[in-house]
Amino acid sequence: MFDVTTTDPSLNLLGQMFAAATEHASVAMSGWTSGQVTLSLDEVQEIPLEEASSVLDMGDDLLTMVALGIQGDPGGQLILAFDETNGRQLAASLLGREVCEEPEWSALEQSAIMETGNILASAYLNELTRLTDRNLSPSAPAFLQDYGASVLEQAIMAQAMVSDRVLLCRTRFEFKKRAMNWSVFFVPSQELVRSMNHALYAE
Amino acid sequence: MSTTVLTKKKTEANVGMSQVVMLEEGELAKSVLGSCIGLVLYHERRKIAAVCHIVLPESLDRPGPPGKFADTAIPHMLELLVKQGGNRAGLIAKLAGGSNMFGSNGPLQIGEANYNMVKDLLEELGIPLVGKHIGGEKGRRILFDSQTGELKVEMMGEPAVIL
Repeated sequence: MFDVTTTDPSLNLLGQMFAAATEHASVAMSGWTSGQVTLSLDEVQEIPLEEASSVLDMGDDLLTMVALGIQGDPGGQLILAFDETNGRQLAASLLGREVCEEPEWSALEQSAIMETGNILASAYLNELTRLTDRNLSPSAPAFLQDYGASVLEQAIMAQAMVSDRVLLCRTRFEFKKRAMNWSVFFVPSQELVRSMNHALYAE
Repeated sequence: MSTTVLTKKKTEANVGMSQVVMLEEGELAKSVLGSCIGLVLYHERRKIAAVCHIVLPESLDRPGPPGKFADTAIPHMLELLVKQGGNRAGLIAKLAGGSNMFGSNGPLQIGEANYNMVKDLLEELGIPLVGKHIGGEKGRRILFDSQTGELKVEMMGEPAVIL
């Protein structure tokens, strides 16, 4: 079940659409990880720009991330974020190996994590494509190790150009039935939100 | 006999996107930056500062607080500083940020535009830009100390730089 932190009742409907996309992504992730990883939408928030990083508790920690843009007119960003330990754990699980102790991520580990982002984003956007009748597809994934707040700042830039509030969806993961410190931040552009609203009210 | 020396913990403000924070002597401000600019206007003699997390170069009548846009943030910072007795003649500027987080194929190339606007405005106002750490494809964590006037800039995998 997800929370909606807004005074706008229409966000509740949008949240249901994001939840459907997340469910689709969860099925894909479960298939990719042999049933080990599932995810669910837990927050849709519309918040002032200046509060984005503090509300989402990004802090100034260094994170491992996969960033994907949404190609096509509507636009937006999807970021899959882990702390070092959790990212390494997922990569090891996907590769069927022990957790790597080397400080640098190998090309194989990076590839496994990027492919995870790709599968997740594709499933998520396939469902949104079906629901909005807009053609949404992910860009090539980018592997990033950086401050979480820095990456989030760039991701919400498109929204910041036209509004002083931002709409963000946060997703929680379970790995082998345990809640994990992994997150997906989905930042739709205003154009995509308009398309979603249009689809909702056309039904 | 041992002596315990108690030191007062310095106030450390977090400067979120679009925010302007005023510092008095001894106070600190921190921020995490991507394509945004962390701008410090510092009065060396009075040891007061205004620190802003600038998001975009120009307001163009778009919504947002004055700290969001370079062309509204800098006049606002000056106004706040003057109110606290920091006349413009004694000010210096330091800044960091303006990176292109998702590389050249990213959706927006705003970091460079942000830096250019801030630099031009400072030149017009005659405020010397005495330290800068800009560009690249990595985020930055900054910490400004109004006691020393030092701006510490950290990037992942690189030694910290003091401006």
